[in-house]
Amino acid sequence: MPGTIPQLAFFETVCVDPYATARKAAEEGSKVAAYMCTYTPEELFHAAGYFPMRLFGRNSGATNQADAHLPAYACGFLRSALDMALAGELGFVDLMVFGHTCDSMQNLADIWKHAVPNMKQLVITTPVVVGTEASIAYFREELARARARLDEIAGPVSDDAIVSSIVLYDGHRALMQRLYALRAARPGCLSGREMMAIVLASMLMPREEHALHLEALLGALDQDADRVVAAGKPKVIVIGNVVQNLDYAAVIEAAGCVVLDEDLCSGRRAFAMAPAESEDPLEQLARMYLTPAACPSKHQPGFDIGGALLERAQSSGAEGVVILLTKFCEPWCFDYPYLKEVFDKAGIPSLLIEIESNQPPSEQFRNRIHAFAEMLGAAHGG
Amino acid sequence: MITMLHAGIDVGSANTKAVLVDDEAVLKGRAIMPSGVGLVASARQALADAIKEAGSTPENVATIIGTGYGREIVPNKTKAITEITCHARGAVALFADTRFVIDIGGQDSKAIALGPNGAVTGFEMNDKCAAGTGRFLEVMARALEVGLDRMAEAALSAKRPATISSTCTVFAESEVVSLLAQGEEPAAILAGLCQAVAERVHGLAARVGVRREVTMTGGVARNAAVVRAMERILGFDVNVPEDPLIVGALGAALIARDMRLRGNQ
Repeated sequence: MPGTIPQLAFFETVCVDPYATARKAAEEGSKVAAYMCTYTPEELFHAAGYFPMRLFGRNSGATNQADAHLPAYACGFLRSALDMALAGELGFVDLMVFGHTCDSMQNLADIWKHAVPNMKQLVITTPVVVGTEASIAYFREELARARARLDEIAGPVSDDAIVSSIVLYDGHRALMQRLYALRAARPGCLSGREMMAIVLASMLMPREEHALHLEALLGALDQDADRVVAAGKPKVIVIGNVVQNLDYAAVIEAAGCVVLDEDLCSGRRAFAMAPAESEDPLEQLARMYLTPAACPSKHQPGFDIGGALLERAQSSGAEGVVILLTKFCEPWCFDYPYLKEVFDKAGIPSLLIEIESNQPPSEQFRNRIHAFAEMLGAAHGG
Repeated sequence: MITMLHAGIDVGSANTKAVLVDDEAVLKGRAIMPSGVGLVASARQALADAIKEAGSTPENVATIIGTGYGREIVPNKTKAITEITCHARGAVALFADTRFVIDIGGQDSKAIALGPNGAVTGFEMNDKCAAGTGRFLEVMARALEVGLDRMAEAALSAKRPATISSTCTVFAESEVVSLLAQGEEPAAILAGLCQAVAERVHGLAARVGVRREVTMTGGVARNAAVVRAMERILGFDVNVPEDPLIVGALGAALIARDMRLRGNQ
């Protein structure tokens, strides 16, 4: 059994009641800004005095109220978030921030405006093409517009404040990248569930505080150099969009795999941005946030999403790839056949499972993962 | 000399199946009973019945593999293995050239691709919906007041199948009632239902990529009308085991035997 590290229990606690930290902060006078897309520059909201919080919806439960507003093909992620708002569970949120992730998300912003009229709202129209100078220039202007709106609703946001928020977030991202590097160097030193809790907690609590716990965790992992959570099981990486329910990682591992790494929207893609140089903090944010990443909702000239994900799988030493896609996620579904082909050609078995991560993992989910683990195990004679 | 036996117990959503094989992989006993709500008791009873059929005693059962949805609750199991792996193993044991298994059980249908060595290389399952499964046919048989065992015969007697457009089991039931009200022959409706199951499961199989030979397993493979419909869609004949219901349990028993023999080496 791996040793107990207190920080891991702490991160897990944060995720068990994901919005408790923000709710409590709001009760104590903080203004909470909730957002749903990785392309939202949290730094801007942090600089404006907000507690930025990622909204994932719930981990279980029906969405009857949201169903009245959304068609059947809208994903459970949006549905669950809207249902929370309609059920009055987001009363602690002062500002709701929408990005242009996909058509459904864009339209959710409009529906939200009518269905949840008492919540302030800000839409940041992220460019669909990223990684080009034109898209960076456009996004910088969009951030300037967002900042002007924040000036109105939260008071003036100075350049200095944005710069110090960027420094804080860069520092936190560097720690996260250290953790990812450590996990790559010591495969299996953290379970998929543990890693997921660490990552999600960062999006649900103040970064300053998360960074302190993260440093302590990195120290503890250095002390416990032999820590291995599961040896001898088929090794997989998990890729896909939003998976915020820790039970998914837990089931994957209980069914016989060990999760070495991930490339998820709710995972490492939130820390993928490289620090950027600019005198202008908004341009700096625009450059950072438009760093190409494996997000199929963006067009990224010169960036090969299949190649990037294959490299992720190969460099981690994974024997298989578990692709978890939120049901009805159009951008991912369009890319899936290509991604499958990339993995097939490289001889890496992949398993697609469409999930509703706003619901607990189903028995069918467990069954498939278990069968995939057996398939991978048989391949190496286990 | 006492013959050691290896058990596979497949606790499915509808039935619990137990199979015993000996060290030579020869089938020695089998039992099938409804799973009911007491899954542990059903698993115990099925094993006891199979042991009785084998003319043996519980002490002679060396290894037990649990499979199916209730695989984890099988008492005294050596290991729990998914029915995907077990159906593949069972199908290859019965038809050595099997490269694809279509398993239609009580609540789910599976399409499993196999490599030349019989190892699973890919699979698909139905997930959100039980249309295209045994339960779907059960509900429809009830709606048409036809016994499950008579369903295929009646369906095969139809001159042409009625068109069933609902994939939802509940809606399909009302569609059946509506077709009856329009004066449609029950046999034609049954043929349409069997055709609908085959088409739906074929859609699943096509996602994996069908390759020959195809072996059909699971309780629905006992329905000749579904099997014929599947063959029509595929354009070639499929293998159907004598007792398709026990293929998963057989595979589990054979894996139990393999494990035991490997362990003894």
